[in-house]
Amino acid sequence: MASNVFTQFKYSDSLTVVGISICTAIVCEAISWLLIYRTNSYKSLKSTIDKASKKLETMKTDPTAPKISAKKSKTKKIDRVETSLKESSRDLSLFKFKSGAVVALVLFAVFGFLNNLFEGKAVAKLPFVPIKLVQKMSHRGLQGEDFTDCSMAFLYFLCSISIRTNLQKFLGFSPPRGAAGAGLFPMPDPKTN
Amino acid sequence: MGVKEKKSKQANSNQQQHQNGHFSPFKFAKLVDPDASWDKDQLGDVLHWIRQIVALLCGLIWGAIPLIGGIWFVIFLVISSAIIYGYYAMLLKVDEEDFGGHGALLQEGLFASITLFLLAWTLVYSLGHF
Repeated sequence: MASNVFTQFKYSDSLTVVGISICTAIVCEAISWLLIYRTNSYKSLKSTIDKASKKLETMKTDPTAPKISAKKSKTKKIDRVETSLKESSRDLSLFKFKSGAVVALVLFAVFGFLNNLFEGKAVAKLPFVPIKLVQKMSHRGLQGEDFTDCSMAFLYFLCSISIRTNLQKFLGFSPPRGAAGAGLFPMPDPKTN
Repeated sequence: MGVKEKKSKQANSNQQQHQNGHFSPFKFAKLVDPDASWDKDQLGDVLHWIRQIVALLCGLIWGAIPLIGGIWFVIFLVISSAIIYGYYAMLLKVDEEDFGGHGALLQEGLFASITLFLLAWTLVYSLGHF
């Protein structure tokens, strides 16, 4: 166990948490790769979205096109590309849903495991006092009033977000930018209207 | 290990196929060339990785010194955003309107970099000073 090697550190548990989250992130990406990224339907969907969003962009920024929609055909064309882009994005998020469920299950199981391992134990020391909202997570299940004590939950949260996002980016698994609006947190696009 | 390597290799080749190979003749010189043309994905990726590197470096330095207090988190945010802004607006001189405005460019990789910074800062501080 890694924690045995680093017992000279008071907060050696933090290394265990980080190590476990790195392994979990790799396992999750492997699952996603098996269920989604290697399939042909995903690849074609992704290239469709990429193409459509690039096309839309060039259409919108085309200097020859008049800004005010004097040309009806132009706006109609843009509308059509936009609708197909939205449809493909929706298909993509549906597609991701099944692997998302498996990944969520794995993350949940690992979280439960870590919770058993480090319950009520400060795994790290924060170099700052977090704001009230974050304290709920960083001081979760901990005794005492020292709010710089960091619970496993907060460290695990930091690890899983930073490691997973960067691993996905590195492997080229991040969602295509054109489909950003179809994610779990749809962002309002001021330019659609 | 062999399987993993195979996987990542495959992923890389997939990526290159997706980007029609315009990432493969990628030259380091382009990173500092104000005349180079950028598309949204490339610039986004570069900004993302710059942010992550800045976050990791700041986190390690902050933790090693150690710098304590919420103000240093704010200072990190300012430094990181200033570097990003300086990079695309002053070094590359891209027109931010082509890429969705300042907000979109400054947001690129922001959340991941914040969590990476907090992780590095907390880890180095906890392990090095207790």
